[in-house]
Amino acid sequence: MINELYITTEENDLVKASLNGDQNAFGEIVNRYQKMVARTVKGMLGDSIFAEDVGQEVFINLYHSLSEFRGEAKLSTYIQKIAINLTLNEIKRRKRFFSMFSQKANNEMYEFEIADHDSEEKREASEIVNKALLAMEPKFRAILTMRMLQGYSTKETAKILRLPIGTVLSRLSRAQEQIRNILKKL
Amino acid sequence: MDTSEIKNIIIKSLDPDSDTYEFPGQLEKEGIVYNFSNGFREKILNRVFSTGLKVSQQVEFVKYMNFAFYRIALTGVAAIVVLLISIFLKEGSLSFNSLLGLNDNYNESIVCLLTGK
Repeated sequence: MINELYITTEENDLVKASLNGDQNAFGEIVNRYQKMVARTVKGMLGDSIFAEDVGQEVFINLYHSLSEFRGEAKLSTYIQKIAINLTLNEIKRRKRFFSMFSQKANNEMYEFEIADHDSEEKREASEIVNKALLAMEPKFRAILTMRMLQGYSTKETAKILRLPIGTVLSRLSRAQEQIRNILKKL
Repeated sequence: MDTSEIKNIIIKSLDPDSDTYEFPGQLEKEGIVYNFSNGFREKILNRVFSTGLKVSQQVEFVKYMNFAFYRIALTGVAAIVVLLISIFLKEGSLSFNSLLGLNDNYNESIVCLLTGK
């Protein structure tokens, strides 16, 4: 149940109320940012049960680290950092697992479901975006997710991924090269 | 929007000079949306505000223990195979005696030493 009292409440007040154990306030934070987290997690991991688990972990980690949130940066940036870290950890964990127990190629570690679309064109578009994302190396995929699915600038991407701008710029050019090759095959 | 335009957005989003702000909206219009399943919020609130958190931590622990067990078991099996191969190469067979490191040869000097004859 969504508590309408909190819909217009400021971010910092929601954080304070959540820290005081207010369940509805934290529920409102989840409501506001779950779509954003879904774009990062599902964009990076595909649409799988693992992505749902990681999505839940993002908000649970957020709750336990809320006392460290000083309000200097946006709450969305703070959540995004948690989301990207947990997602990259899951990719590493899955890579280790698959390298030991399976012969699957990197891009086969992920799965995605194409949601029902009202046209064949939209279905195809969705398939291209998901296939392209999941075929990329994780470090490039993170950058593509931040820019294409979240709309972040180079500076914001660098801040969230905790990378120097120079590194992001060089990854952008290498990622562009990689994506061109991937898209040729799609 | 046809597929070539979608591909163009993907490439443009990796161009440092492009304005990335519009891309999520454009993709959403094309039906590229990501959502969690129904009841996502409730699941989180249950995990955070109930004892469910402890249970889920235990489940996580069991999951990691399983993973660690597989790793250890696999390493153990590999070590046993290597051991058997090395015994076979050294002794020429995998008989019970060769596994125990006993030789079939009758050693006269040991018999003398033990019996005093």
